[in-house]
Amino acid sequence: MNALTLNPLGDIAQAIGSLMAEEAPALPWKADVQAARRGDPSAFEALVRSVQRAVYGLALRLLNSEAEAAEVSQEAFLRAYQNLHRYDESRPFDLWVMAITRNLCLDLLRRRTKVRTEELDPMKEVLPSGEASLEEGAIARQERQSLEEAMGTLSVEDREVLALYYVQKRTTKEIAQLLGCAPGTIMARLFRAREKLRKKMTPEEPT
Amino acid sequence: MTSIQCPDLEVLFTELEAGEGASLEHAASCPLCSAILEEHRQLEKDLYRLADPLPPPTLVANVMARVATEPTPLRRELWAGLSILVASLGVGLGLLISNDQALSRLGTALAALFTDGKVLIQGLASGASAIWNTAAGPVAALLVVLLIVSLSGLKRLVGNGPHPSEA
Repeated sequence: MNALTLNPLGDIAQAIGSLMAEEAPALPWKADVQAARRGDPSAFEALVRSVQRAVYGLALRLLNSEAEAAEVSQEAFLRAYQNLHRYDESRPFDLWVMAITRNLCLDLLRRRTKVRTEELDPMKEVLPSGEASLEEGAIARQERQSLEEAMGTLSVEDREVLALYYVQKRTTKEIAQLLGCAPGTIMARLFRAREKLRKKMTPEEPT
Repeated sequence: MTSIQCPDLEVLFTELEAGEGASLEHAASCPLCSAILEEHRQLEKDLYRLADPLPPPTLVANVMARVATEPTPLRRELWAGLSILVASLGVGLGLLISNDQALSRLGTALAALFTDGKVLIQGLASGASAIWNTAAGPVAALLVVLLIVSLSGLKRLVGNGPHPSEA
């Protein structure tokens, strides 16, 4: 009797539990973070390996310099290690390190006295295209290279939002979290950046 | 570019994201807007194909070499806490030692605690008992609130920290 009356409640509890499990974010970095906090270097190394490409990619797109991007990435990871006790485990670890990276990049950009446009040329070879199939061939690669070049001429803010959204496939919510603004603002920034890029990619009409 | 009747591009692209809207309906029959949408789709397709560059192969090794010279995060916190404690004690003792009057007051207070300790404890116990007998409920509630606040404060101090941007 009791079992019969309790079953619906059990089902509801089970349903709520499964719903919560679906909504609960996966925390794959949690165990490594806890181990790293206790001083396990291999755990921190695993964390670095898992996010190094995103961190370095963001730094390179913001700074347009391989050497500076590598230096800033190293510094960002070091600061992450030093401040690991402050990290909130419920937030994505990669976004946390990227926020540190972004702050370091912006500091560096502020310190720059002039725009070093001469560094844009090496970027043509530095930034790769996606997984190009054989059929796509040289033309597609060339198109992507011109896209990278056009992106390189945009402002830091435009490059940043385009890289995070299209290259790193982040959601507008994640980008908003990283940049500290509303998702709607990100949509507007994406639109403006895309328009500037489109204009740069479109050959000028003869007058 | 677009005709006067054509919608604003931001509106058009917002509706494109949403998948419906008057501007999108207009674009279906407008060759200018259709061309813009096609161009936009192509640009997005190309952008999605871009990839992050590979980091230098030495990046992880360089990071770990720098990390190896750092104290472990937990030990760092422990040392920071201890150094604050030692500094506070040092300042307090320094003030006491440098001030004869304060030192003599401390000595008197300590001596009084030893001699009148039993009386003091009895007094405190009877006071607590009187408060408990007159207002047990509010006292218990206050104690529970204090305990919860202290525990959550401790948890926050040990576990979570400020926003990543502050790091």
